[in-house]
Amino acid sequence: MPVDETAPAVTIRGLVKRFGDVTALDGVDLRVPSGSVFGFLGPNGAGKTTTLRILTGLARPTSGEVFLFGMDAVKASAETRRIIGFLPDVPGFYGWMTAEETIRFTGRLFGLGGDALEERVRALLDLAGLSDVKTRVGGFSRGMRQRLGIAQALVNAPKLLMLDEPTSALDPMGRKDVLEMVASLAGRTTVFFSTHILSDVERVCDRVAILDKGRVVMSGPLDEITMPAGAHAFEIEVAEDAERLEQALRDLPWATSVERTGLTLSVTASDPIAAQRDVPAQVARLGLALVRFETREASLEDVFVGLVGGEGRPR
Amino acid sequence: MSGFAAFLAKEFTEIRRTWRIWVVPGILIFVGLTSPVLAKLTPALIGSITAGQPGFVIEIPDPVPADAVAQWVKNLTQMVLIAEIVAAAGLVSGERRRGTTILVLTKPVSRDAFVLAKWVSEMALVTVATLVAAAGCYLVTLAVFGTAPLGLFVETTALWLVLAAFFDALVFALSVWTGSTAAAAGIGIGGYFLVSALTVWAPARAMTPAGLLVAVTAAPSGQGFPVTFALPVTLVLTAGLLLLAVALFRRQEL
Repeated sequence: MPVDETAPAVTIRGLVKRFGDVTALDGVDLRVPSGSVFGFLGPNGAGKTTTLRILTGLARPTSGEVFLFGMDAVKASAETRRIIGFLPDVPGFYGWMTAEETIRFTGRLFGLGGDALEERVRALLDLAGLSDVKTRVGGFSRGMRQRLGIAQALVNAPKLLMLDEPTSALDPMGRKDVLEMVASLAGRTTVFFSTHILSDVERVCDRVAILDKGRVVMSGPLDEITMPAGAHAFEIEVAEDAERLEQALRDLPWATSVERTGLTLSVTASDPIAAQRDVPAQVARLGLALVRFETREASLEDVFVGLVGGEGRPR
Repeated sequence: MSGFAAFLAKEFTEIRRTWRIWVVPGILIFVGLTSPVLAKLTPALIGSITAGQPGFVIEIPDPVPADAVAQWVKNLTQMVLIAEIVAAAGLVSGERRRGTTILVLTKPVSRDAFVLAKWVSEMALVTVATLVAAAGCYLVTLAVFGTAPLGLFVETTALWLVLAAFFDALVFALSVWTGSTAAAAGIGIGGYFLVSALTVWAPARAMTPAGLLVAVTAAPSGQGFPVTFALPVTLVLTAGLLLLAVALFRRQEL
């Protein structure tokens, strides 16, 4: 089955995965356009890693269809694995190899060899900042392992690079390095980037899907996802007694989240018209002095919290 | 079998650069070099123990070259076989534990190639180490006794290699099935004792790997044991266990 250059990088239809009585994926539908840097967001346990394991052929779906560039990723897993690169959340390496040997070994698994492979090994070591590192992988820091993980995932110049929580266990410098590597790939390959760190998505992704309890609850371009929600986010400042207003707003049916910082409340609303009507009314009912009531552009966090709720509180 | 050659090359490099080159080959070469010496010295050692005890006499015949082969075979079928079972038990489950199966199997490498390359590399290691150790044992026997039964060395060593291939295949299937090094090693050692126990039952001696165990251990004393059925049955069981390991691994989610 050939690669369909016009097909989306990833097409998932009705994907279900059950482990005994537990439903990890409950009818996931998703489309990742070719060339995008796609953020696959969700709280821990939402089903992100399970989805990636199915996409990479490590697990089988209970039902549903998965296509990579038009190729069936379940029935033609051997073919689809030729065009993907994958970095798991905790990458495993042969501790006795060096970074150079690791990349060369993974290149050979794709049938690469000769000068072409050596050239690619040098380029990827350079990209990962590991050119001068001669120690064995067993002694690498977590950040070095993640960078090596991305480098080995790029050895076949994949059409689709899948990264599972690539920054979740890194310190700020390691995170910065990995995100810069991902950002540098924009326009060269499709990147499918699973994470629960919203700021990482805002920094490098152009499209996003939010997964919660095994279902995609929202998907689309990042700016379109945050823009409509922007009209649903408000900041309210009162002169005193903000706690009482916070409590009153929490009881209203349209309030999807209410957070208080001092005398200022940040509110996201499922019904903005109702919010614009009810907030001044509540302020008046409680006898409070309203200092400020304004809409603001919502962040991805507002959208995420609104959709996923407090259980999947992001970092 | 996509990726077999590249993964096999990695296995051979890993053997050279990790503990794998030292453990089983080290034991094999140690027993290869010491078995003839031990066979030569055993009567004298026992004699020295009983010399100080009046009225206690053990008549031990003078050692002969076949005793060196018997000692070599005894070590092979006990200590070396158990060490090999333990060493092979972690080869597949260890990769799963370290997460390196994901590194390899998200590339165009088939699961068949993964399991078979590991078995082939391990058997290559055991075969080369056994041949080197057997050659050492033969030369030391020649040096200690002045003569050495080459045919007996070849026959017993070859039969032992078939047994080792069978137990490696058994342990590979267990390692894939359980996903645990300890469980695979434990059940594998249990399998070894079961095969040893079957040597006392005539039908099993004739038709199962137990017959090879009897043939290997009986050969140095000149008591030939026919392996007309036991040898092909063991070879078929080995192939079957490997196919089982591959089939189990294909179905597993990683």
